[in-house]
Amino acid sequence: MSKPEDLLPLTPPVFHILVALSDEERHGYGIMQDVARQTDNALQLGPGTLYGCLKRMLAAGMVEESEVRPDPVIDDERRRYYRMTPLGQRVVRAEAQRLANAVTAAKTRRLFDRPKAGVTGGA
Amino acid sequence: MPQSILLRCFCRLYLVMLYAYPREFRMQFGGEMQQLFRDRCRQVTRTPSFWNWVRFAIQSAADWMSTMFQERMAAVRELTVQECANKTFQVVRTVWSVGRSTQPRGFVAEWAMTLIIFLFATTTLVQAYVVPTGSMESTVMIGDHMLVDRMSYSNPGSWGSHLLPYRDVQRGDIVCFHYPEDVRQIYVKRVIGIPGDRIHMENKQLVRNGQRFIEPYTQHIDPTIDPYRDNFPQAPSWNTTPRGREMLADDVRDGELIVPPGKLFVMGDNRENSEDSRYWGLVPRDYVVGKPVFIYWSYDAPTADLANWSVDHLIDVTTHFFTKTRWNRTFRVPRAQQAELAR
Repeated sequence: MSKPEDLLPLTPPVFHILVALSDEERHGYGIMQDVARQTDNALQLGPGTLYGCLKRMLAAGMVEESEVRPDPVIDDERRRYYRMTPLGQRVVRAEAQRLANAVTAAKTRRLFDRPKAGVTGGA
Repeated sequence: MPQSILLRCFCRLYLVMLYAYPREFRMQFGGEMQQLFRDRCRQVTRTPSFWNWVRFAIQSAADWMSTMFQERMAAVRELTVQECANKTFQVVRTVWSVGRSTQPRGFVAEWAMTLIIFLFATTTLVQAYVVPTGSMESTVMIGDHMLVDRMSYSNPGSWGSHLLPYRDVQRGDIVCFHYPEDVRQIYVKRVIGIPGDRIHMENKQLVRNGQRFIEPYTQHIDPTIDPYRDNFPQAPSWNTTPRGREMLADDVRDGELIVPPGKLFVMGDNRENSEDSRYWGLVPRDYVVGKPVFIYWSYDAPTADLANWSVDHLIDVTTHFFTKTRWNRTFRVPRAQQAELAR
């Protein structure tokens, strides 16, 4: 098992995918929709980008396939669900911390406008 | 429902596009990617507007292009020495066994697929073309490099005519076609007569089906009247080709050219300096390649250099790229234009 710090910094798609998986297991389309929601439709993951990232994340052990099928009604054989591993959890925390530090550094140099209320809905 | 047909077509297309990815990747995620793509399509159909579709198409194409290369490079990078040897062996074996036995699709087949897709796009849909002569001057100039849309005039009856906006060649259209005297060359001219039209000229003025026309797109550089050139088809000129003479013999009745079925009568916009249907006869409809979409680069260079790239021309382009490029012509669209009835 690699240390979470070795995997930083994450690319934006990887980070957003991990955030999407942090609260529940999702299938590909669910991840795509959640990422779009997180970023106010700024980041629309295409199939190639999404599964390219998932491939690398599976290889690094950040996510794993899940056997649980939460929604049997709309279920389809081809839909696979993905779940975050404990390593993925630690990686996304570390990345969030890194980003927070970067934001704080920017704030102390007054690079920020006052955040407007309700601009983006977080995950 | 037309929308569901469109959706199915898109999914089919995507299925084909998936073959551009490396085999392992496709085996692992292909089904899911297809599913995701279909879900995205459905999402777009829920708020169908032209721009939504365009945005979706661009996003998908960009995603496909970038990740296809990324995955291919990754697949190459992940190879170990052992696997490299295996692959090489496989390549040799595949090449060796082409046409002999049914091998599993390997490394070569994968790359061939990518190549085929690119070749399909560049040979069937669009083609790059450079204008070497000034016969269409004022509309297209010497040195205009343009993209030609090969689909729009593709033969009626092919599958494309049901899927794509298809419109037959009309008067006033600018078309690219194989020069009938030498089919290796591509010419660009304006369509003046379509089958059934009666055409003659009186002192540089076009008379079509008994009506006089003013053609706003033409350019006249020589005020003198040439008996043949400007009063076509009177007084056959010595410099018509055998094909041209054939046309004058077969298709002229009572001083008018009658365009026969399956042929087009074309002329250059630079009327006094254009070798066109008046001199070498009619263009068979099948010879039409397509219509110019836009000029992507216009470079001021002599005719000979544009037809055959030489080392000198290459040096000229590299040293004078910025000064000799006609920037104001970039992305210009050579448009079809109708002649106006003269009063």
